[in-house]
Amino acid sequence: MLQFGKFVLTRAVMALITLIIVSLVVFSLMELVPGDCAERYLAFKNTQGSSIQIANELEAERIRLGLDRPFLERWGKWIVGAFQGDFGDSCILRVNIAQLLGDKFWLSLALCLSALLLAYAIAIPVGIIAAASSNAALNNGLRLFSYLGLAMPNFLLALMIMLIGTVYFGETLTGLFSSEYRDAPWSWDKIVDLMKHAWLPIFILGWSATAFALQTVRALMSDEIGKLYVTAAAARGVYGRRLLWRYPARHALGPIVNSLGFDLNRIFNELPVVALILILTDAGYLLLEALARSNDQQLAGAIIFLLTASIVTLNFLTDVLLAVLDPRVRKSILR
Amino acid sequence: MTSQTDPQINTPLSAEDQKAKEAYFTASQGQLIWARFKKQRAAMIAASVLLVLILSGIFAPFLSPYDPTIAGKNKDYTNGAPQIPQFCDKNGCSLRPFVHAVERERSMATNFRWVTQVNEDKRVYVHFFVEGWDYKLFGFIPMDTHLFGTKAEGGFVHLFGTDASGKDIFSRTLHAIWTSMQVGTIGVFIAFVLALIIGGVSGYYGGWIDSIIQMITDAVRTVPPIPLFMAVAAFMPPEMTAEARFFYISLILGFIGWPTLARRVRTHLLTERNQEYVLAAQLCGAPAGHVIRRHLLPSFTSYIIVDLVISFPYMVLSETALSFIGLGLKDPVNSLGVMLQNVTSADVLLNYQWYFIPVIFFIALVMAFVFVGDGLRDAADPYSDSHK
Repeated sequence: MLQFGKFVLTRAVMALITLIIVSLVVFSLMELVPGDCAERYLAFKNTQGSSIQIANELEAERIRLGLDRPFLERWGKWIVGAFQGDFGDSCILRVNIAQLLGDKFWLSLALCLSALLLAYAIAIPVGIIAAASSNAALNNGLRLFSYLGLAMPNFLLALMIMLIGTVYFGETLTGLFSSEYRDAPWSWDKIVDLMKHAWLPIFILGWSATAFALQTVRALMSDEIGKLYVTAAAARGVYGRRLLWRYPARHALGPIVNSLGFDLNRIFNELPVVALILILTDAGYLLLEALARSNDQQLAGAIIFLLTASIVTLNFLTDVLLAVLDPRVRKSILR
Repeated sequence: MTSQTDPQINTPLSAEDQKAKEAYFTASQGQLIWARFKKQRAAMIAASVLLVLILSGIFAPFLSPYDPTIAGKNKDYTNGAPQIPQFCDKNGCSLRPFVHAVERERSMATNFRWVTQVNEDKRVYVHFFVEGWDYKLFGFIPMDTHLFGTKAEGGFVHLFGTDASGKDIFSRTLHAIWTSMQVGTIGVFIAFVLALIIGGVSGYYGGWIDSIIQMITDAVRTVPPIPLFMAVAAFMPPEMTAEARFFYISLILGFIGWPTLARRVRTHLLTERNQEYVLAAQLCGAPAGHVIRRHLLPSFTSYIIVDLVISFPYMVLSETALSFIGLGLKDPVNSLGVMLQNVTSADVLLNYQWYFIPVIFFIALVMAFVFVGDGLRDAADPYSDSHK
């Protein structure tokens, strides 16, 4: 128990360090964007018609935002705020980012996690069966599917489905909510409405993740299945599905649980592009908006940091889960 | 397969077997990999597809009858359907393939709007090796001969149709393949050099240097690449020239793509650095850089090559995604991402289906790379025999 506690603690510290490095990377990127928040805000105000003495105002605004402080100090402030869920104000909209994001970020996270769940719900059983069977047609079919999953990027799939849906079925598959629920407070009806729309983004986000997971599961299972302990178990009279699940599958699934974080990474990767095509009103779309259109560094930084933080958290959780299941993992990290 | 020890090793081998065995044992690593690669039908087909695509990319200006940029556009045939050369029509047959001429007309009958019509009585013959727009083959040989085209005044042939501004989609697709592959190649190369240096240092020294480098690598790996690409690409001032943009995109792809290979290199070096030949080199006074470069890295060249082939489609995919959302290459440049951008409206699916032709090429390119990469991996990995 003591050893386990020590493991969790070490792992937590490592996750924290990773997060801090990530925040440094993200913050430096934000700083590198030409022009700072003050300039952008004043430029925005000018377009609104209020004429300001740019030179004076700019200095005042910089000081007000604390942009005259040294880099490290600002980064420190940002990261401390970030851990408390406060990312400051958006450069252009002048709304607190936490407010602006609201449940949009959680919505995106839920979409991605569902996609991940879907991918594994399909990939694990199918992959195990494929590895165990010697059916050439099944195996080649799966292989082709996996390649197609890799070769056909999610955005292309989204595009095709959406276009075909609109043209031949006349349904609008875009968006996450029907118009009457978009700004309504959360209610049961709203959740039902969300479900009606969310299946498509979930399916699309899960598409290449499924293909990828399938390949991994199959490869790991075929490595395990020929090993002696499986033969020994079969000799003891364990057979069929029971044999597969109790012996090789258990070993094969370790590395897969371990890679959950990076699979989530892959799904996040596609989020902004899929959001663009399906016009989802989620964090992915906001990110795209902030980066491609309005150059709102503060908002973009916050979203990227939140995405990364979820991956780091998931990595941490899966490692702890693995340590519970398999004591060897605990030793590997403590050395 | 042949690599397994022969169970009947004691029985005398026939002369032929002996020869085969000798050939096997004296073959170089490259020959062995090639021999194994040849046995995989899917990978061989993919390799030939890939070869065709690469060649058509290299010879794009020669193969395409029209300049793919605005300059070469056909003003009179916008959103035109693909024209398939034919040998026969209602007026009889000819040995030389031809397409029918298109004419734009505006009259009472068309309600005074410009309408493009096919004139079935007028033939535009397709000639081979015609002189057209100037280009530089391989970037330096000035030429103006093209594989095919028309000699008729004002006659055009568009195999894949034209887009909204009258640009020839066939020419654009060929150029786009080449651009995307160039971006990918530069990106892969930069990522490759970075990965070898970072992974090499990390694996060779080990200890705390390794720990720190691994922490940074992990942090870079945790950030999802496309949002990161987007963040970096957002620095590009919109007034950047097409060439500068092109190199910038390749640079970004390279600078973000290294962690996976770096990690693989590091793991290999960690196991390899305790070998005796490394110790011998060190005792001879070889500096670290020399040992890494001349002794350690060559010991798994085949893995690195395979890894490069496998990571190539991801570079192309990233470029495409980036261009697709409007942060990568922009319209006068032809890349696959830019071409894909054009298919986003329902209008295209309903009326101008030929816009999807570049999509087929794109999928074919990525699939070919994935198949070849996988075939190479199977061929280069000596342990892959056991589970097939």
